[in-house]
Formats: sequence, C-alpha cells, structure tokens
Amino acid sequence: MTRIITTVLLLFVGLSIYAQQVITGTVVDDEGIPLIGATITDVGTTSGTVTDLDGSFSLTVREGAEAIEVTYTGFEPQRVAITNATTYEIVLSSSSELLDEVVVIGYGSTSKRFLTDNVTKLSSDDIDKVPVPNFQSTFAGKAAGVRVSQTNGKVDAGMTVRVRGAASISAGSDPLYVLDGVPLINQDESQNGAPLNPLLSLSPTEIESIDILKDASSAAIYGARGANGVVLITTKRGKIGKAVMRLNISGGVSEPTNTVEWLNTEEYVALFTEAGNNIDYDVTADFDRLSNGTDWRNSEVDTEWNDVVFRTGQQNNADFNISGGDEKTIYYLGGAYNDTEGIIIGNDLNRASARTNIRHNFSKKFTGALNLGYSKTTINRVQDDNSFTTPLQGIAQSPLSPPRLENGEPFGGTEYANFLLALDYGSYETRIRRLTGKASGEYKFTNWLSFNSDFGYDMSNTTEDEFNGSRTPFQSTNGDAFSSTALQESYVWANYATFDRDLAAGHNLNVVVGTEFTEAQRNYNSVSGIQFPSDDLQTISSAAEITAGAGSFTAYNFMSYFARAQYVLNSRYFVKGSIRSDGSSRFGADRRFGTFPAGSVGWIVSEEDFLKGNTTLAFLKTRVSYGLLGNSEIGNFPSRNLFGTTSYNQRPGIEPVQPGNSSLTWETTKQLDVGLEFGLFDSRISGELDYYRKLTDGLLFETPLPGSSGATFINQNIGSLKNTGVELILNGDVVNTGGFRWNASFNIAQNNVEIISLPNDDMDIVVEGNNINRVGEPVLAHYLPEYAGVDPANGDALYFINGDGEDARETTNNPNEANRIVAGQPFPDVTAGLTNTVAYKGITLNFTLQGEWGTSLYNAAGRFQSANARFFDNQTVDQLNRWQNPGDITDVPQARLFTNNGAAASTRYLEKADFIRLRNVTLSYDLPRDWMERIGLTNTQVYFSGLNLLTFTEYSGYDPESRYDAVELGRGQVFYSAPAARTVSFGLNLTF
Amino acid sequence: MNQLNKILFLGLFSLAFTNCEDKLEITPAQELEPGTALGTEANIKTTLVGTYAEAGKNDSYGGRYQMMADLLGANGNITWGGTFFDPGDIFNKAILVTNAFVEDFWNNQYAIANQANLILDNLDVVESSTEERDRVEGEARFLRALAYFDLNRMFSSGDLGVPLRTEGLVEYSADLTIDRASTGEVYALVVSDLQRAVELLPESNGVFADRYSAQALLARVQLHIGNFEAALTAADNVIMNSGRTLTPDYADAFNNDVNSSEDLFAIQVTSQDGENDLIVHYASEANGGRRGDIRVNDAYLDLFGSDTIADARANFFVEGEVEDRRLTGKYTNQFGNIALIRLAEMYLIRAEANLRLSSEVGASPREDINTVRNRAGAELLEEDDDIDLTYILNERLRELAFEGFFVHDYRRLGVAIDGFDADDNALVFPIPQSETDTNMGILQNPGYG
Repeated sequence: MTRIITTVLLLFVGLSIYAQQVITGTVVDDEGIPLIGATITDVGTTSGTVTDLDGSFSLTVREGAEAIEVTYTGFEPQRVAITNATTYEIVLSSSSELLDEVVVIGYGSTSKRFLTDNVTKLSSDDIDKVPVPNFQSTFAGKAAGVRVSQTNGKVDAGMTVRVRGAASISAGSDPLYVLDGVPLINQDESQNGAPLNPLLSLSPTEIESIDILKDASSAAIYGARGANGVVLITTKRGKIGKAVMRLNISGGVSEPTNTVEWLNTEEYVALFTEAGNNIDYDVTADFDRLSNGTDWRNSEVDTEWNDVVFRTGQQNNADFNISGGDEKTIYYLGGAYNDTEGIIIGNDLNRASARTNIRHNFSKKFTGALNLGYSKTTINRVQDDNSFTTPLQGIAQSPLSPPRLENGEPFGGTEYANFLLALDYGSYETRIRRLTGKASGEYKFTNWLSFNSDFGYDMSNTTEDEFNGSRTPFQSTNGDAFSSTALQESYVWANYATFDRDLAAGHNLNVVVGTEFTEAQRNYNSVSGIQFPSDDLQTISSAAEITAGAGSFTAYNFMSYFARAQYVLNSRYFVKGSIRSDGSSRFGADRRFGTFPAGSVGWIVSEEDFLKGNTTLAFLKTRVSYGLLGNSEIGNFPSRNLFGTTSYNQRPGIEPVQPGNSSLTWETTKQLDVGLEFGLFDSRISGELDYYRKLTDGLLFETPLPGSSGATFINQNIGSLKNTGVELILNGDVVNTGGFRWNASFNIAQNNVEIISLPNDDMDIVVEGNNINRVGEPVLAHYLPEYAGVDPANGDALYFINGDGEDARETTNNPNEANRIVAGQPFPDVTAGLTNTVAYKGITLNFTLQGEWGTSLYNAAGRFQSANARFFDNQTVDQLNRWQNPGDITDVPQARLFTNNGAAASTRYLEKADFIRLRNVTLSYDLPRDWMERIGLTNTQVYFSGLNLLTFTEYSGYDPESRYDAVELGRGQVFYSAPAARTVSFGLNLTF
Repeated sequence: MNQLNKILFLGLFSLAFTNCEDKLEITPAQELEPGTALGTEANIKTTLVGTYAEAGKNDSYGGRYQMMADLLGANGNITWGGTFFDPGDIFNKAILVTNAFVEDFWNNQYAIANQANLILDNLDVVESSTEERDRVEGEARFLRALAYFDLNRMFSSGDLGVPLRTEGLVEYSADLTIDRASTGEVYALVVSDLQRAVELLPESNGVFADRYSAQALLARVQLHIGNFEAALTAADNVIMNSGRTLTPDYADAFNNDVNSSEDLFAIQVTSQDGENDLIVHYASEANGGRRGDIRVNDAYLDLFGSDTIADARANFFVEGEVEDRRLTGKYTNQFGNIALIRLAEMYLIRAEANLRLSSEVGASPREDINTVRNRAGAELLEEDDDIDLTYILNERLRELAFEGFFVHDYRRLGVAIDGFDADDNALVFPIPQSETDTNMGILQNPGYG
C-alpha cells in the first residue's frame, strides 16, 4: 500500500504547470462597504488570494481559466466569469442560508453545498458570551442529535457529549476531539472519584468554529476512533488587514437552578418522634445530641442546610486578542482569563490561557503555520458525591443541628461528619497545565496538488494536592495529604497529499491520501503521607510518615493510513469514498489492524433544469452515506490476562487483576445515513432531514462473571446494539424587513437504542444490581423491584412480585420476593433545541431553548432522604405524608426508625426527568459606530447573558440534568448531585 | 530553489510513509502476564503473599467478615447505629439479596480460594527445596481452607453448601456456571486441606501461617462441625506445642503492630498496606473510626454478672465522642494487626470438647477456663462450680466478643438470636444477586425469594 501511494504522488508531481494571467478587482457588500479578507479562487484550483483592507485583490490565474469564485463567511458565494476585462467590481449579497458555509471535515475542508455527509457546524457566535467556563456546554441544544450535559453543578464536573446516542456500552462513548488537526487527550485524571472535564483547559474564547462529524461518511476518515462522532475545533486566526484588537470583559453571578425542600425542625421532630414511637424507641437523647443541647422543642435551631451548602457564585471573564496580517503573514494572538466561583461552597476555578496562530507564505508554493495554545487551570474541588464530607451531603443533616457554633467553629456533633470541618481544615486543589501545538507545512506542487505535513503535540499535566488537617472528620493521624502528578502527552504526525482538479469542464476530483502516526504516553506518580507537625504545614515534605506511593507508565500507539476521494459532476452530482486503516497497540496481537471504509453519494436536485429558478423549492439536495467506524476507547491493555502488584506487611505480592481475552478488538459501527437538505421560499426557510441507523457489533462488555469464579468481570467483544434515529433541522429567516431581523433555528432528534444480541444466548447482563442490558431493551435500562405503595392496613411498604406465575401482580412486603422489572431508560430518546435571534438597530436578542424527553433517573440517595425516617437523615417534605393509622391511603410507608420499611432499591426512587430549559439568553447592543469612531473604536458592544434562567420540569429532584458522579454516569443515577448553575452576566466587547 | 524544494519534499514523502508499525507492540509496565506470574518459583511465592493480601482486604478478614458475623449474631450485645444500610440490614436480620457487604465478602472469599488454587496448580515450579515447596503448598491450603470454611459458615443452609472449586481459573471464557456442593463436601475439603497443611507447614513461619495456625484453625473447624475429639486433639496440640503464650494483660492481645505472644494467626496491617474495617465501624473518630457505628450494650455487661470490676474484659471499652457511646477497646490502633486466631480460643475449645466428651485431656475444663479468666483478672472458678455448655458459651462471649464469633456460637449451641431461632433462615446469608444473575441455576437459600 505504501508503495502505491508514493507512486501515485510521484505521478502528480511530474505533471507540468500552466501559463498564467493576472486579474484584479474589489469586493464589496451590498452596501458598498469593502469586504476585508474575502477569498478569491481560480475555480478548479486551490490557488487563491484574499482581499485587503480596501477590499482589493490581485490574483494570478491559469491561462484559459474560465471563472473565479469569491467567498466570504456569511455571504452568498459568487462565481464570476473571466472576460477580457482585467478589473472586476464584485458585489456579494449576504447569505440568508447556511448552505455555502465552509465546513471542516478532517484533513481538509469543503463547502456545505458539496457535502455528502452529515456535519453540524457551530460558529463563534454560538459559543461566545455563554457564561460557562467549558466550551462543550456552549453548544448544548444547538446541534441536532448531539446531547451535551454536564455531570452536575460543580465547576469542574465532567461532560457527557453523545453524538446520536451512545454506540457503546462499556467502551468510551465520548466523541474524538480534534483541535486544529491534533486529536486531543481527553482522559480524566481526577483522583477524587468524581470526573473532571479534561478539556476545561481550553478557553471557549479561542474557538472560531466547531464542526461535528456525525455520520459514518464524515467520521470514517478517523477510522478506529470515529464511532462516537468527531468534534473538530478550529481556533481563531487572523485575516489580512490592519491589526484588529478586541477586548471582551464580562462578570456575573450564579445560583443553583433549583433546590429541594427539606423538613424544618418542627416537622423533623414530629416525624422522628413518631418513627421512634413506632419501634418503642425514645428519640429525646438523639435530638439533644443533634441539636447540641439547644431547645429543639421550640425550634431554637432550624437550619436550612441548602443555604449552608450553596452560595451565590461569581464569574469573571476577560479576553484580549489582536489579529491581522498581510498577504505574506496572518497572525492571531490572544489571551483569556476566567475566574469562576461555583455555586457549591468551596468549589471554584480560574484559568489563564493564551494562543498564537501564525501562518506565513514563504513562497507561492510553500506555506508554514504554527498554532500554539497553552493554559493553566487551577481548581478547588470538593469531594465526590459519595463522600460524607462533600458539601451536598450536608443536606442530609438534621435541621436541629447548627452548622457552626457561636465561636464560628463547625459543629462536630452532626449526624454525619460536618462537611464544614473538611472545608475549613482541608483542601483539594487540582492544577491542569495544557500545551497544544501544531507546526505544519503545506507545499503546493501545482495549483491542484499540494502536500501537507502536520506535526501536532498535546501535553496535559494534572497535579492534585489534597490536605486534610488534624481537625477534619475521621482524622486520627494528625492530618493526611495526597499529592499526584499525571503527565499525558501525545504527538501526532500526519502527512497527506491533496489533489483537487477539474479534470474536464464540470468534472472535479478531490483526492486526499495520507498517513498518521500517533504515540501517546502517560506517566503517573503519587504519594500519600500522614502525621503532620502542624495544620499549617500541608505539603508531603512535612509528613512524618509516608504511607503510599505510586509510579506508573502506560502508552498506546496508532499507525494509520487513509485516503478519500470525492468526485463532483456539474456541481450537482457527488460521489465520495474514503478508507482508513488503523493499527493500534491496544488490540490483541492477532487483531492489530482494522480497515474502515465509507462511501456516500449526493445530488443537488434543485440544480436540474426542472427546478432551476424555482423560488419555492430553491434548494434541494439528497444524500446517502454508509460506512464502518471503530471504537478503540477500551483502555490500553484490555485484552490481556494480567497479574498486578499488591503488598502484605510491606512485602511484595502478586494478584490476578484482569482475566484476559486475546481475541479482543475494537467495536465496529456500521452507519447508514439518508439525508435531505432543502431551501424553501428563496431559501428563507432551509433545513435538513436525516434518518440514520447505527449498528454496533463486537460490542465491548465488561461482562460480569459469577463471583464464585474468583473474578468479577471480563472484557468481551460480543453482542450488538442498534441506534436508529431521525434528525430535523429547520432554519428560518422569519422576518427581515426595515432593519428588523428575526432568525430561528430549530432542531429535534429522536434516537432509539436497542440491544440486538448479547453473549451466552442473549443472557441478561445485570450491572450493579439495578441496571440491565437485555435484548430488545435500551442500554443500561433501569432494573428495579416495582414499588406498589403502602398496605393501608399496617403501613408496610409493598412491592409487586412480578413473577411468571399467576401471582405476578400480587404484592409482598419482602423486597427479596419482588422480581425486578425493566423500568425506563437512563437517557433521553428525544432531544430538541430552538435558537432565536432577533436584531433591530444594533440590538440583538439571542436565546436557546433546549429540551430532553425520555430519561428516567434513579435517586440512589432516596434510600436515605425519602425513607420515611429510617435514619436520622433529614427527609424530603413528601415524607410527611406517611401512613399513620389503619386505613390511611398514601405512598409513604409508616415511619419506623432504624427499620427498612420501603427503603430497598425500587421504582419508588425512580422518576421521569423530562425538561425544557432556557439554556442561554444574550441581549446585546452595538453602540452606534460613528460615536465610537470618534474615540478610536470600531465597534463597541454591551451585552447581558444568562444561562439556565428557566427550567420547566416535573422532576422533583435537584436537577434533571445532574448525575451521580461517583458511579458510571450512563446508569442514570443521582446521589446528592448538585444542580446546574443559573448564571446572569454582563459584558463589554470592544474592537479597536 | 525550486528544484531543491522538490527534493526536500520528496524526501519528506518517503519519510512520511515509512512504516511505524513495529511501534504497535507495547507491553504493560505495571502488570505481568500469567505465564510470568505463575511460571517461576519467585513469582509463585509472591503470588502467595498476594493471597494473604487478598484475605486481608476489608471485604473479608480486614474486618467485614468478623463484623457481619457479630452483627448477625448481635443478640442484644451490640447495636448497629451507623447509617450504612447494608450492615444495618444484617443487624436487623432483614438482608436483601443485593446487600453489598455480603456480595463483596462472597466475591473476595472466592478470589482468595482461586489464588490459592492457582498456587496449588503450579507448585511444580517451586524447585529450590522440598521444604520450600511444602511450605508454599501448606500456606495455600491453609488460605483455601480459611476461605471456604467461612463461606460455608455464612452461606450454607442445611445440606446446601457453597460452590466448590479446587482448580484455579485462568481461562474465563469457559462456562463458569457451577452448582452448590453439599455442606459436608465443603467441610471435608476444609478439613483435609488443614490436615495436609499441618503436615506440610514449618513450626514457625514469621507472620505467615505456620503449622499451629493450621492446627488452630482445624480445631475451630472441628468444633464447629461437631467433631469434638478431633477438635480436642488439635486444640491440645496447639496449646502444648505451639510455644504461644497468653499475653500478660488482656489488652496486650489487641492493637498490636507486631503479632503478640498469643497470636496463632493475625492479619497484618501497617500504615502502608492492609485494611482494617473493624476500626472504621467500631472505633471512635479519634482512633480512625466513624464515631462508633457499633456500640456495646448494657446487656453485654450483664454477661459478667457481679464481676464487672475485676474482669478486664468488662472494662475494655473506649468512650466514644458522641453520647458517651460504649465502644470496644479491641480496635483502637488504626494500623494494628487484626487477631484472627488467638491462643485463648484454643483453651476454650479444649474446655468445651473435654466437657462434651467428659474427658480431661491436657487439662480439665475448669482449669482451661480459669487459665483464660485468670489472665483477664476475673474471679476464678471453684472446684465445686458447675460448668455446663451455657457457661462455656458465655465465657466465649466474654473472651471472644467482637472478633466474629457471635452468630456461630449461638447457632452452634442452639441459642435463639434476637428472637430468631438458631435454625432460622434469616441467620444465613442469601446467595448474592450478582451470583444468581450470572451463575444461572444456582439455588438461592430458603427465605430469600
């Protein structure tokens, strides 16, 4: 294969070059204002130039060239026939449709018009001004079929991004992120149990656009890493023209989107007194203890723990950049600072980042570029949701307990360890340093053949430092500390040649052929120590005793070959094919290489004579694609039978840690996409309708094993999964008159996921007891005993037996007798977003509504907090409806202290979590330009921005989007999980 | 220039398309593959050390096993007051088939057994000397017996024992379903393993199991299954020959960084390895616990009658931080070893066996009990004091409380626990749901749906 590629490339090189002529001209918009940086290309070649400050250009075209094409973002592209004239005045009209925007597709870019793939493009307009520190949250609700949610309201919380449902069960389901051609490290390095978003290190302000490759035809160029979709991020770059400086500053405040109502002291005393009486237990001493001897009978203390846990957070942003360039060099230099104080006490982050993107034409043939971004992020973290000292577990405390004593010290006698002790006397600080760069060169042999060599490097260094002083809860060793360093780095060397040429009039062929080599490594070291001489000495050096240490190294490599060819006939018939062959060290020796082909066809029907000029159906394109993708996110050595190290009495030991499976390989997903793109009424309404079917085979499972085998799971590639769905996008130019403009963009996606086959004759796979993978059901469906309410006679909690026999709908008060049922899915099947932009005379209102339907969430903390007073945990107010007397009809069983009456895992704690959310609102005002120019500013904008301002949901928990961060997120559980933040922010945007 | 460029880029081409496929072979840096782990004498011995580490995990003898046996057999002596629902359900005798403590114990006992099996399957590689080979085999048999004995004690119901595997599993793609063996088959393996271990093990073996560890465990097993003569012989042998002596003070038998003079086998815990969940749930916060999830009740003190002042065991408590909770003094050193078999138990086994057999092998029951009581400073039995099984049971409760004996002693002697008859199904653990979900067809214990 290698030799063939080389030969083909040499053939191209051998061809000669045409003679040339020069044409000049200017490009203006329909108001006659010169357009700076518009692109002019010799049609059929890649040779081109951009307009300068006056909108002027000069382009050398081939002898006999027929036309030039002028493109500018946001404007209709225009083709101008080359006549005898040498100067051209070209007027571009602003584009009312999104049909012609430039789309990045991996190892190249293309016009959306020519695209036979399903790619969603988001621009900096969608990203800017959303007051969140991570870039993923900015596109929630904006891309059809792409579900974005943050684990919970911690500022550093991990992100879940799913493109067209999850194609996997156990392997990674995150898309591949590629920044300016460099695949990004996206491995969570959190050591405290809760996921940390590794891409927090990237400032949203650096991003020019995001292209999401959703179907096989587009993602197959990323082969074994494309099955979960690919997110291509393009950072900002300069445009030809004088230096433009932009300064953006904003500041805002945030609070929880929602809180849950708990019992107050009076209610708590009443409920728990009754719960004690029901088991002949006197709770007086417990109340005295919890209330620290205060007068609980008269509510002397009545703590609203929500107020102790949450605070009004703050967010401050500043970013500055300067960009510009000339025909030789374009540059972008930017820096940004973000300071976010979270809504949970003790949780904040700040990030300083900088980026330099420079591109220089060394000659007409050779262009070099350097992209370099680096950042430092410092995060003060709180413990994971399952930790007693995480602030959110504070809501479990009794309202009788004061959070702090009169001297300000945290009260130590709370039912659970008082998290304020951990907050006051402990710390957990995470620092992420990130460096991502690419040095690239492009050599144009001819107008139609170029060669690119890109060397990318990504380095992520995460250090974590934990200190628990002598006064923190459960502290018996005069303090303990933990310190870790995780260094991940990867380099990617991609080399590819691009052939793009009109073979004859109306016949265009674009071919990309290349190789890519990736080498990634991770070094990890940690050390733990105890016995500190003072709470003021907090680094490990002060520990008198070192208790644990770790040092490890792991790596993976990929060697890949790829090729892609697109043939365009008469600008309306398209055929595209691509193939990638990936080899990876992650797979068993016998299965080291995989090949991932894809193909697609498209037809712009509206270019045919019978539709041409039809303004009602101004644009119509159909496309079909099919291809194979892989998922290699299965860990570095999943196939091997491994023995790890342990120690006993400080002597080394070995123990089995992973049962092996030498035939393990990647998962493969076959995806079919059928799409229709249309523009109606002069393309004032445009849209896309897609149907897809994703069939994943060789599904990787951590298959549970019987404990009696000595191991509890094995990695296997068995089973298959099907995702089918429909996506609809509608963009409307609703009103556009008299300076008043209203654009709306609506997207809705429906995804059905179904398990098709499972190992061992489709045997059910139960995950942690309460989720199931069963043929015919969605992945990780909730699997719980069915709660049947309360026996009116005695207040016992009842469960349906749901057996096979006649007694199926009989009830029992013994949860062990109740068979579990499939009771809902942990993710939505319908997601939708609606973005509206209304502009009038410099005032622009933009808002996005986002909705999800179909999720059911299991509240694993219900067994404590809605357990009719089983423990001394404060209870949700609905527990006041407990059964009290024979004949009472209620869903809440009789309160029985220390007794499990209805607190077994069951559908009692399962709830639908549908919601519609006003995700973000931005109201901006561009001050009149003539005022500003007097003081040297070209543009000044003030804006208001809001996040999660409104939520419409029936869900009774903290937040329908929050998840339990200490278990697999896909299981759809919540457990003291913080709600999302609601943020309002004001900003000022200056351009000089 | 142009020519030069072309040459330069052609050079780059050939470089770019060079094959880097040899870089795809990467081996793990932190782990070994089974051929290596089980293929050399040094590695087999290290795997043996790893099996002790497995046994010492908190799921098993790092504390939860002992704690669960005492909570299930609490009988008023102790109260669970913590907010973990799994041990709370065990204390309430309302165990769900999803109980995580029960499931983790089950899984870990089988992990111990499997590792011991892997060692026994690969003994051939121990070639340095017969003694070394015998020692490795003896320790592996001791650990396997320990794992199966306690599994069977907690999970067997009537004649329905636990699944029994005597060969190590490396290949997990095989059919892993397995039926339950009979209770008798499991105990038979345990006894034969221990008998072999007694023959194979050296007289002393550092902190690892030696001949007397195996013999002491054998005495415990034989007593449990009612072979009193065998129990008597084994216990007597340990007392006479092991060289172990009772610690001068009762308190000295606990919270030790190194084994005490009476430890026949102890789980090693240091600040750097090992786990001690007895601390987590029994100890005060100052001692590394959760302020005393398990509290000792007045009813336990009643066992000492009028002797609550002199008897050290009636005073071996710590006051918890909250509500003056009475917490046991046996677990106050977070990094202390966990005594699993103490010499005092051997005296009590010999006393019970002699009583049942009306013999006085080694010593009379009264003498043995007095040996134990004397060390605790308790009032000694007089010649004419009546000793019956109830007295011995109570002496065991006084001496061995909070060390994982409650449920077994009450059930063995037919004493009802917290209102549940000794043979009540609720006093037997359910087969974990994770097992019934994956080992299709395995029988659940009666009373668990």
